[in-house]
Amino acid sequence: MNTVTIPSFAAPGLHALLDQLNAEQLDQLDFGVIGFDAGSNVCRYNRHESEAAGLTPPRVLGQPLFTNVAPCLNNFMVAQRFEDAEDGNAALDDTIDYVLTLRMRPIKVALRLLAEPGSAVRYVLVQRRV
Amino acid sequence: MLAVSDDPAAQLAADHEALMQFLYLAPVGLVQTGLDGEILMINPISAQLLMPLQRDGNLVNLFDALADVAPELRHLCASFAQASGMVCDGLQIHLNHPAYPAGGALRPRRSPQVLSLSLLKLDDARLMAVLSDVSEQVRRERQLRQNDAWLNALLTSITDYALVGLDREGRVSEWNETIGRVTGHSGAVVGSSYAVFHPVDAITEAQVRDRLREADQNGWSLDEGARVRADGSQFWASAMISPLPDADPEGDAPAYCMVVRDISDKRDAIETRRKSAFCDHLTGVANRRAFFEAAELELQRNRRTPRPTALILIDADHFKQVNDRHGHPGGDAALRQLGLLLSATFRQVDVVARVGGEEFAVLLPSSTLEGAAAVAERLRRLVAAQPVCFDGASIALTVSAGVAASDGEQIDLDTLMKRADEALYAAKAGGRNRIECWAPAPSTVHPPEPLDEA
Repeated sequence: MNTVTIPSFAAPGLHALLDQLNAEQLDQLDFGVIGFDAGSNVCRYNRHESEAAGLTPPRVLGQPLFTNVAPCLNNFMVAQRFEDAEDGNAALDDTIDYVLTLRMRPIKVALRLLAEPGSAVRYVLVQRRV
Repeated sequence: MLAVSDDPAAQLAADHEALMQFLYLAPVGLVQTGLDGEILMINPISAQLLMPLQRDGNLVNLFDALADVAPELRHLCASFAQASGMVCDGLQIHLNHPAYPAGGALRPRRSPQVLSLSLLKLDDARLMAVLSDVSEQVRRERQLRQNDAWLNALLTSITDYALVGLDREGRVSEWNETIGRVTGHSGAVVGSSYAVFHPVDAITEAQVRDRLREADQNGWSLDEGARVRADGSQFWASAMISPLPDADPEGDAPAYCMVVRDISDKRDAIETRRKSAFCDHLTGVANRRAFFEAAELELQRNRRTPRPTALILIDADHFKQVNDRHGHPGGDAALRQLGLLLSATFRQVDVVARVGGEEFAVLLPSSTLEGAAAVAERLRRLVAAQPVCFDGASIALTVSAGVAASDGEQIDLDTLMKRADEALYAAKAGGRNRIECWAPAPSTVHPPEPLDEA
């Protein structure tokens, strides 16, 4: 197997790199990864995110992201950005400061939003801010 | 489906996870805080509802997050004497103002207008809060309330009522015994506008016409409030105006029928209900909810019949210093005095409300910018001349105010508020203890964060 470098949260061109990583490699990342498909159903969910949220992948995979997994992302800052990118057939790569409620505690995080026209999977990446 | 495990530890973990998800997905906001509002636990819907209100994007304290829209919370909890129990149940919080920070990027996709908040004190260390978006229920409830008032007017046993014919302009067209019995007016009242039954300053000419137009459009216009008899004594009345179907557009025959019922005996109950829902507990002036309802109604009528409407935003200067030096009770005393001076300065028809911690708003129907600025100036002088007496100390207080007005042009409440806010900012930047009027194309560029850290 080819060696795949494990990218960082801020790595450029991250969307393409994530698409190449298998589930095991995603689990090695030191930030949370939620991938979702054209129907907004979660299709990738790595260990870091699973542990932060306290939810195992079977509870999350296949579920609609913005209604059943993370309703707190269903707003102008996140969900709308993906919709706009899709409507405009444009790429999205933006990092925003946010507060997530992980295990019912408000946690300051940086969210990186990734979408590429023609790519089946879109990503929300989560890294804790200090 | 998730399998049931034989291993007790695994079963416990699975149960824990299911509970966690239950809380993640609950379509209602749940927050646990310390008595000072410090957030201990919070579920995602709460964060979704509160984040847009948070200026710095750091959700740490529930009272801080709601400070702009429900300034009374901290006080409400601090003054709650029982060891545990319901501090507030379904308190309605109106969000129209201030505008969402960050250019509106944080607003939920369908912006809530009204939140409902219940606070339960668990013990001497913890509060539990339930938050939900009740915008739609409030809208429906407002409609129902109108229907209720209408049914009430028809069905409640009537002790006495005056039947008053009004002409096209709302003038009393003829006298009858019922008018004499209920209002004490003689035949001399014929030809006067029905405003004669209202206390001085309680209704403008434009509002007199509004009710007639409303009756034309809806078939009736109903309101409840103070009325005055010929001898000056007041009573509480429910009044309904309805157009008469066969009125001759040119003739002298009445065009409207107004039924005025004396409901003074029910007044206490009505007032108590009104006070708890529409009054600011500390200052006695209207609260945000009452302000936004009244202001939106006035501007809505304004669109139908254009006329000037003015808005004044008033902020106590250096209020934090007052709190720091004299404690919160001193600050409260200052706000109470400010509330009294506001009520004494403005007309009865003006809507005076506390809309933030130390921020007040006054809506002046049928007032020009100049007129409103003159009254604001009078208030400014009055406040500066009367230090607040508190606990043996004398607290000097001044206010800054921003005035904006619509000259009958189509303007929404948000815009009017924003303009008054810009003028208020200019008054603060200009050294405080002053009034500024909004003017188009302001010369300075304002930072997005409002005002006055002091």
